[in-house]
Amino acid sequence: MIQIENLTFTYPGAEEPTLKNLSVEIEQGDFLAIVGNNGCGKSTFCKTLNGLIPHFTAGDMEGKVVIGGLDTRECEIGDLAQKIGYVYQDFENQIVRPTVLDDASFACLNFDVKDYEEKGRRALEMCGIAHKTDEYIWQLSGGQKHLLALAGAAALSPEILVLDEPIAQLDPAHARDIYEVLKTMNETYGKTIIVIEHHTEYIARYCKHVMLMRGGGIAWKLPAREALCRVEELQKSNIFPPQVTLAANRVAGGAETVLPVTVEEGKEFFGRYPQTDVAKARILDAPPEENTILEFENVSVEYRSVKGDPVRVLNDFNLEIHKGEKIAVIGSNGAGKSTIMKLMCGLLKPSEGKILLQGQNIKEMEMNELSQILSLVYQNPEEMFIKDSIRRDIEYAMKVRDVENYQKRTEGLLERFQLTDLQDRDGRLLSGGQMRRASLAIGIALNPSILLLDEPTANLDIATRKEILRTLSDMKNITDTVMIATHDMQLVCEWAERILVLSGGKLLKDGTREEVFNDREVMKEAGIQPPEIYQMGKEIRPEISCYTVDEFLRLFQREAV
Amino acid sequence: MNQKANITQSQKLMVFVLSMSLYGLATLFTELIPSFQVGIVEFSVEYFLFIPLTLAILFDPMSAALGAATGEIVFSEIMLGQFGGLGELEKFITLTIGIYVAGRLVKNPKNRKAVAAASIFGMILQQFMGCVVDILKVQLAVSDFEAVPGLPQSVFFTEGFAFLNDVLFSGILFCMLPTVFLVPRLYGKIEPLLGLKPRDEKNLPAGDAGMTAKAAAGAVIGFAAAVGAELLAESGMSLIDWEASWAESSTAFIVGIAAAAVLVILVCSRILKNSRRTEAVQGEM
Amino acid sequence: MKEKLSESIFDKISIDYIRNQVLKNAYGNDDTVIARLDPRVLLIWYCFFGIVPWFLDNVVLLICLFLFVAAAAYKAKIAPLVMFVFCLGVFSQTGYLLIVSLFFGGNAETIVPVLIMTLKVAIVSMASITVFSGLDPDRLANGLLWFGCPERLSFSISFAYRILPILMEEFQNILLSYRMRGKAPKKKGISGKIKYLIYQVKVIIQAFYPLLLNTAKRSRTTVEALELKGYRYAASNKEVKRMKLSSLKIVKHDFAFIAISVVWVFGSIGMSVTI
Repeated sequence: MIQIENLTFTYPGAEEPTLKNLSVEIEQGDFLAIVGNNGCGKSTFCKTLNGLIPHFTAGDMEGKVVIGGLDTRECEIGDLAQKIGYVYQDFENQIVRPTVLDDASFACLNFDVKDYEEKGRRALEMCGIAHKTDEYIWQLSGGQKHLLALAGAAALSPEILVLDEPIAQLDPAHARDIYEVLKTMNETYGKTIIVIEHHTEYIARYCKHVMLMRGGGIAWKLPAREALCRVEELQKSNIFPPQVTLAANRVAGGAETVLPVTVEEGKEFFGRYPQTDVAKARILDAPPEENTILEFENVSVEYRSVKGDPVRVLNDFNLEIHKGEKIAVIGSNGAGKSTIMKLMCGLLKPSEGKILLQGQNIKEMEMNELSQILSLVYQNPEEMFIKDSIRRDIEYAMKVRDVENYQKRTEGLLERFQLTDLQDRDGRLLSGGQMRRASLAIGIALNPSILLLDEPTANLDIATRKEILRTLSDMKNITDTVMIATHDMQLVCEWAERILVLSGGKLLKDGTREEVFNDREVMKEAGIQPPEIYQMGKEIRPEISCYTVDEFLRLFQREAV
Repeated sequence: MNQKANITQSQKLMVFVLSMSLYGLATLFTELIPSFQVGIVEFSVEYFLFIPLTLAILFDPMSAALGAATGEIVFSEIMLGQFGGLGELEKFITLTIGIYVAGRLVKNPKNRKAVAAASIFGMILQQFMGCVVDILKVQLAVSDFEAVPGLPQSVFFTEGFAFLNDVLFSGILFCMLPTVFLVPRLYGKIEPLLGLKPRDEKNLPAGDAGMTAKAAAGAVIGFAAAVGAELLAESGMSLIDWEASWAESSTAFIVGIAAAAVLVILVCSRILKNSRRTEAVQGEM
Repeated sequence: MKEKLSESIFDKISIDYIRNQVLKNAYGNDDTVIARLDPRVLLIWYCFFGIVPWFLDNVVLLICLFLFVAAAAYKAKIAPLVMFVFCLGVFSQTGYLLIVSLFFGGNAETIVPVLIMTLKVAIVSMASITVFSGLDPDRLANGLLWFGCPERLSFSISFAYRILPILMEEFQNILLSYRMRGKAPKKKGISGKIKYLIYQVKVIIQAFYPLLLNTAKRSRTTVEALELKGYRYAASNKEVKRMKLSSLKIVKHDFAFIAISVVWVFGSIGMSVTI
């Protein structure tokens, strides 16, 4: 289906080629995952497939790319678009029409396909959003938008679909939806699917082959099972194999080459290893002093809606936050996580009830005072960069408040977040991980006693994610109360001391991870899944809950030191 | 692909989209933010002209200018229903010329003086053209303009004042200063995001140096077209006025107009049907 | 007065409110009588009510036409903010002339021509609000395309409605960043208020720096996607245009609307003649 021979590509002005002498063949009907650390050329590679390189993006291209018999260099982007569909990582910007059906059929219309509406409808059907056909784009949720972007690409019925990090911003339920759709496309409609993906659990469950890219070249392309078992090699490229595989590798001490990649396989595998009698219970940190720092009293929030009555996103909400707590807020997209955070910073005003910060009503506080105590780091770091260099961004809040030695403090922060070398660059032009670090530095510049983080680990590869986690634990001595809204259950399990589960604007559950994850009802209602390793643990020792790979390993003698 | 600095169609489209959406957004706000008046002096946050000016100085001036003019019509006129019919054409043309000329004038975006001069010049050009047309408009909208005591003077006065006020207030505050602030900051940063090379003396968007005779001539012709269109509309108006007095009865005239309008509607609907039929036929062929 | 205004600008009219109103105006009224009309019929209707009033000098007739257009605007469910802007617009175009001409020694006679002019402006703008806000953006774009407007314009209209909510949200977030991290001057006293106003305007201008860069990032993806979806290919293909326009159909509903308009106009003429 796809043949690539000796492909080398250099961006204009770049010294090193981004793709180096790359050759590969991808068969029809494959479900291929491309993995590799940030900046290894994955996205560039995908753009050579659909002809954007060399037709749209200038640069030096050598070698040959043949898609279904067409040489990309010799044919128009338009002809290629009918062979290969592409869904961007920032898929939101790929949707160009105001209504759903219109966007789905837009490509067909442009390419003069007579039954373009029918084609659009069929694509929506295929992607499972047929019930949204007549809606406007802004009425869709993030996951639905992604499905629409996919439908828009699939409407021309290309034989190949390429998706760049399809689930990076989605909650687990929506992520599964996307992959189920892709699976149907692959199995029922015989499409060749190529995804760039960090989440190896999904690779294990859905993909047929994995291609590892390293430094602009292809390290290998292997069947998915085999690929995921190459634990060391993957880790070297900042790819983390599924937790089950990782645990199995540790239990086996690297002695086995065939490792389990899913929970089902793990059951059989771990059964072969001796277990310890008593799993060590996790020693809980001493509960923090009951010192209420922030309080929600019967808070309700309404949003103006475009049609009809205002929408209630929070209803009679009560919450107490104590000094020193590490809180994770979880729940599906639209459950009200961001609303709570915005309320706390005074960016949103409650329509009923009040919020007390250190005993004072937020409503009566000046924004200036508030931001000294409380700071919010957006999900999208780009919106935090308002100056033209990160140094200026970090110092801005301190400078306008005439903080003493603000320059020294800025320097300290730059160092702490390893940004000193980048200080004069514009935040937007940094890599994902650097952007995230910079946004954290901006967030704590004023030494807030409460720090709010919205999805701090979204869109990051695992190495960067680890880095952020490390930074979070580093910050313990700066900011004592931290609240994170997230879909990342591994983060929740490794870090949080208190978990709030939200669903439909209500507080469904409030407790420790034991209390939350062992409550099946709540998990189901909120659409949350515990991390894979938890499920694995339950499979072999139903009475015990383990939340991290390390905890799981304590079940086995080999590791029980 | 090629080493020449020619901007491809798609890159032009990118500049167009950027200029349209951002300037459109800005005009949407200015349309909604009430201006406040001190006596007859109107302080309004008019024209965030610095946005298209910045883009025109950094990228292809024509795309930026067209994008801005389209953006204003689409966002603030059509979206808010403030569409003024043919009158918008004049605004479209003057805005395009103003921005385009300013964009062509700058050879090196790093030269702050050049940027400042070009931006204020573009603004003055645009405002002046707009002012001339405005006076004509009021003059012809009120049928016995000269007969109303005090009206001509007041129109000339307010329009002239508005022009000065716009140039001094909006021109400096919302055009020159922000453009001078933004251009050097964005230079070298925004171009790679669009996959372009930054503009420098050797790498000018149109391939030739700054303001050529050809470009200047184009601008003059454009303005002539705007004025011409406006004057044509005016003369058409007075013609009908004259006819009305010739018909001696305004009632007859009114009935005539209404009848003509009905006729137009009927003819149009017939055309619609016919064209659909022919299209259907063509479709089958 | 001035202080009040400056406050209302930046505190009462929040961007959130504007965003909501614009969205409401664009998408919230797609099920009204007006929105269901064929865009071409409405555009012709607009041509009549947008041009003819300029030639009329009869106060009664103008008032009748005004009432009709106002009724149509009411039926189109125009968002309150847009109506407010409309009133403001009419005042700023002609209302102030009244005051100014009185100031320059005008008398009661001045009022009649100015009233006529105000009515003219009101009818014309109201008609445009009804047509351009009442219509679904996409249908409007198709209607304009049918009348031979450049394809680029009709695309821009649809795209503007698509991108607007995104842009507004982003702009709002950037401004919030400024609010959270910046330090606004105290709003005490006249000079304080003016300082506050200047600060706000400065922030809005500065906010365009990040917005420009962020939007540039976006528009790259958008234009690439357009390329992949064959937009450029379609722009030069007449067949595509024909296919796009084939969805437009004139039905009974449209004829009824035309009939009512014609009857009303003739009725008004009759009335103006008899009075």
